[in-house]
Amino acid sequence: MVEFNYNPDEKILTVIFNGRMDSVAALKLNEIFDGVLIMKDRKPDDRLVFDLKEVDFIASSFIRICVCHAKLAGAGKFSITHCQPFVKKTFKISGVDEVLNIN
Amino acid sequence: MTENLVEKANEILDKAQLAAAEFHQFDQQQTDRIVEAVFRAGFSNRVKLAKMAQEETGMGIWEHKVIKNVLGTQLVYESIRNEKTVGIISSDAKSGITEIAQPLGPILAVIPVTNPTSTAMFKILICLKSRNPIIISAHRGAAKSCAETVRICYEAAMQAGAPEDCIQMISSGSRDFTQMIMAHPKIALILATGGTGLVKAAYSSGNPAIGVGPGNVPVFIDESADLPFAISSIIASKTFDNGTICASEQAIVVVNSIEQEVKAEFERQHCYFLRDDEIKKVEKIAIVAESGSMSPFIVGQPVSVIAEKAGITVPEGTKILIAKLSGIGKDYPLSVEVLAPVLAFYSAENYHSAINICIDLNYLGGIGHSACIYANDEKRIMEFSELLNAGRILVNTPTSQGAVGYFYNNLPPSLTLGCGTGGKNITTENITARNLINIQRVSRRKPNELWFSHDQLKYFDEALTTEELMKDYYKNH
Repeated sequence: MVEFNYNPDEKILTVIFNGRMDSVAALKLNEIFDGVLIMKDRKPDDRLVFDLKEVDFIASSFIRICVCHAKLAGAGKFSITHCQPFVKKTFKISGVDEVLNIN
Repeated sequence: MTENLVEKANEILDKAQLAAAEFHQFDQQQTDRIVEAVFRAGFSNRVKLAKMAQEETGMGIWEHKVIKNVLGTQLVYESIRNEKTVGIISSDAKSGITEIAQPLGPILAVIPVTNPTSTAMFKILICLKSRNPIIISAHRGAAKSCAETVRICYEAAMQAGAPEDCIQMISSGSRDFTQMIMAHPKIALILATGGTGLVKAAYSSGNPAIGVGPGNVPVFIDESADLPFAISSIIASKTFDNGTICASEQAIVVVNSIEQEVKAEFERQHCYFLRDDEIKKVEKIAIVAESGSMSPFIVGQPVSVIAEKAGITVPEGTKILIAKLSGIGKDYPLSVEVLAPVLAFYSAENYHSAINICIDLNYLGGIGHSACIYANDEKRIMEFSELLNAGRILVNTPTSQGAVGYFYNNLPPSLTLGCGTGGKNITTENITARNLINIQRVSRRKPNELWFSHDQLKYFDEALTTEELMKDYYKNH
């Protein structure tokens, strides 16, 4: 469901998601994020990237997770990458796409 | 205070917008599963919610509210269950046009005090069927029963996998707050069922709105009508939930030649013709003198209560109070809409005078709503239909149960009845799920032979006449 990949040279933590990010998955994600050290102990200048290449559905609770982590990461330190068009449209409809810096 | 309200409005709309984002990803099967679950939950609570609504509002009859709840759940569900509302909904190879349904986004649904639980369930079902989150704005007089309706429907929707916050509720304790939500940029549409002021506020909000108009339903009983049948039908309709449906009959119009027979039949079927002094007494309590509109205190009240308030004595078991009037307008207060078992009655010299009375009544606050004719003369039925300005012309049909569809005809079952431009609405339709989707039309290239086969440069030649250009346009076709 989720993998973590930290690049110390570029100081980028990439979180790679896989599958349906429905409300059940979102609940599990919160638990996983709480238990992963590199997620919890990020340095202030680390950038956080959510890679959604393998994601085909996002629930409102998953969008909330994205918004929450964008706020925690701070301005310019969070982005979403590899969105499928359908998921990109979902972020647009949600009205939070600008906050999330979607590439 | 205002800042708090703005924050509250933003919070509600942010949630609704997230729900909309999730909902748009659902396919038809997932959507239908949610709609079925909500129908089942609402339907199985039809009696409880009807009793709650009657007790809370003090209007109508709970058994009739059960029937309204059946309309708002089972009958609405039956009418929309097989409808395509997701993805490709039609494709025509000949025209090259494919239609794709897209949801609208958050919908604010204003719920009237007269039909609270049934309208709430109806609007929830059609919004979910079209994948739109709904925000219920309940009348403060029906806030508890609406809250319970929302709770039941939301729980069922969530269990069936619906997006979080797909159903929310605000109580119209504050008019400012409701108007703030109406005007919020994240609202996609307002489904406004209620009084004229509320509908006007919805239209003035700057957001798209589907509203309703007030009714003042004239009923013409033609000489060709089956009188006992017609009168029994009118009584069954006007007494339904004590006349709270806006499509209920407001005035009966006949020609002099059958007046006595019609009166006798009404009396035989336990209706009471008021004397002139009694009409004055009923006017005083039924109509607000300053505005000339009906008093909220008699809406949905039984004859016994109205008679007591008016200080008149009527025979026990009287079903409807009938006031024979000689005119229409502000000098004849009971000629306006009264959502209670009170009817105006007119007798005209001849057929044409009778139709003219119906037209006057129709234009006295009921343009575009509904009208009714009892007749067995096809020519008169069609003549009446073309002359009245009404979205629904009901023929030999009780108007309360007829206008809302399904029971007596093939109109879509609905608790939001469009009244066309006469009622300041965009449509005369009975509103249903298909009104709550954006239809995208994918148009394949189909060059128009007429256009491409003639010389378009000729349009720039001012010397050519319209006839010459048209002749050239159709040349060789």
